[in-house]
Amino acid sequence: MSNHNKIPTSLASLTFIGALTGGLLWWLSAPQTFITQEQVNAIKVDVNNGRHLFYIGGCASCHQLVPSLLKDTLSNNLLKETSSIKSEEAPIPLPQLGGGKRFTTPFGTFIAPNISPDKVTGIGNWSDLAFANALISGISPKGEHYYPAFPYTSYTRMQLQDVLDLKAYLSILPSIKRQNEAHQLSFPFSIRRTLGLWKRIFFNSAPLVKLDNVSPIVKRGQYLVEGPGHCGECHTQRNKLGVLNKHRWLAGAVLEAGNNEAETIEVPNITHDETGLGDWSEDDIINYLETGFTPEYDVAGDVMAEVIENTSQINDKDRAAIAAYLLAIPMLSSPEE
Amino acid sequence: MKIFKYIMLLFFASLALNSLAASIEKSIEARQSYMNLFAFNLGIAGDMAKGKSEYNAELAKIAAKNLLSLAKMNNSAMWPEGSSNQDEAGKGITRAKPALWSTYPEAINKHKKLVTALERFSLLVGEGRESLQKGIKSVGRGCGGCHKNFRAKNK
Repeated sequence: MSNHNKIPTSLASLTFIGALTGGLLWWLSAPQTFITQEQVNAIKVDVNNGRHLFYIGGCASCHQLVPSLLKDTLSNNLLKETSSIKSEEAPIPLPQLGGGKRFTTPFGTFIAPNISPDKVTGIGNWSDLAFANALISGISPKGEHYYPAFPYTSYTRMQLQDVLDLKAYLSILPSIKRQNEAHQLSFPFSIRRTLGLWKRIFFNSAPLVKLDNVSPIVKRGQYLVEGPGHCGECHTQRNKLGVLNKHRWLAGAVLEAGNNEAETIEVPNITHDETGLGDWSEDDIINYLETGFTPEYDVAGDVMAEVIENTSQINDKDRAAIAAYLLAIPMLSSPEE
Repeated sequence: MKIFKYIMLLFFASLALNSLAASIEKSIEARQSYMNLFAFNLGIAGDMAKGKSEYNAELAKIAAKNLLSLAKMNNSAMWPEGSSNQDEAGKGITRAKPALWSTYPEAINKHKKLVTALERFSLLVGEGRESLQKGIKSVGRGCGGCHKNFRAKNK
């Protein structure tokens, strides 16, 4: 008789512990937003600063409408080379942020969403608060976690003013009608809620490097590189959970290009170590960010050419700030082959 | 007798393949030298723009003229089919992506943009260091246009 009684008791205990653990995990993984309506209300936006932030963040590098989708979605007038905001450079095409670009990663394929101001398929209907929480909290307007393929892990360091200025600029860009596609991810990565636990452990807005007694220009550079510029998202090695190794900050990375581990991409070390930027001077870095020319007059290629398209549009002061920061951070050698 | 014929056929086929690979290798070497000439002339003008060397209108004009001549030169023989970084003959010695050949009209358009930028550059370089700085930025954009789509990363 006593044995028969033990089984239901153990089962009940297990069920209780299971439910408790499940409840705890559910609670821990709950989406959390950090920005409030009051904070948003206190901001007066500056669209010119928003344009500047747009190029610092390089939003178009991921969200620019894929050329093959161009004909289906654009009316001819959007193809004209024009810019509604005066720039010192010759006019460049207005960004068309319909998305569609695919990013193959070890977790699956991410597809860049439409962030154009289209009210149905883009972000035209988003409130300022929703936009701020997307960038700073990594939470969608529907209250779901974003995958960190969207680098809110860096944007979380952005000032709210800059975030809302950016939104103001995005809202004057062309509307593109293109329905978003779902990311193609394998289990368990396909369950967004699990990101809540990931964020609990790995997501914070603390500075990536500790720099004591540095000049305001280096501080500005730190803000740009660690925040909106999100340079570390490519230039720093990640572990199997997709977490950046802060001890190898900007020391380069070997990225798996897809499901095939043999297919790798080498992202350069951009610390001042001899295996990184080496003897590049501050002027060399500034010039590279402006023109794409290395000190040997080679030209940036591939993804970095896209980055240069953006950094060539920002002001001299911020290019200098980025350079000053890169020369101020610890020198680290590149990962061994 | 038949076996002998097959051996000879294989022998000549391998000779032909080797000579094709050697000719592709030469084309790759030629285009890399061609790019070095760009870099050399860009260095003359670029160093002046950066303030690394003193501005000299005449030298800048010569560099710009050389760059324009290089860009206008018919270099098609340097880019034979089968010389991308994915082709056997090109593996490990070039970073040219196959897209350069598969989207050839796009490459031509980008090259035209570089020529336009260099034409503008050659008009600007003699007008002082500031004009030179503005012009070189457009040249960088022109070069980057091709490098973005058609040159792979290191690995």
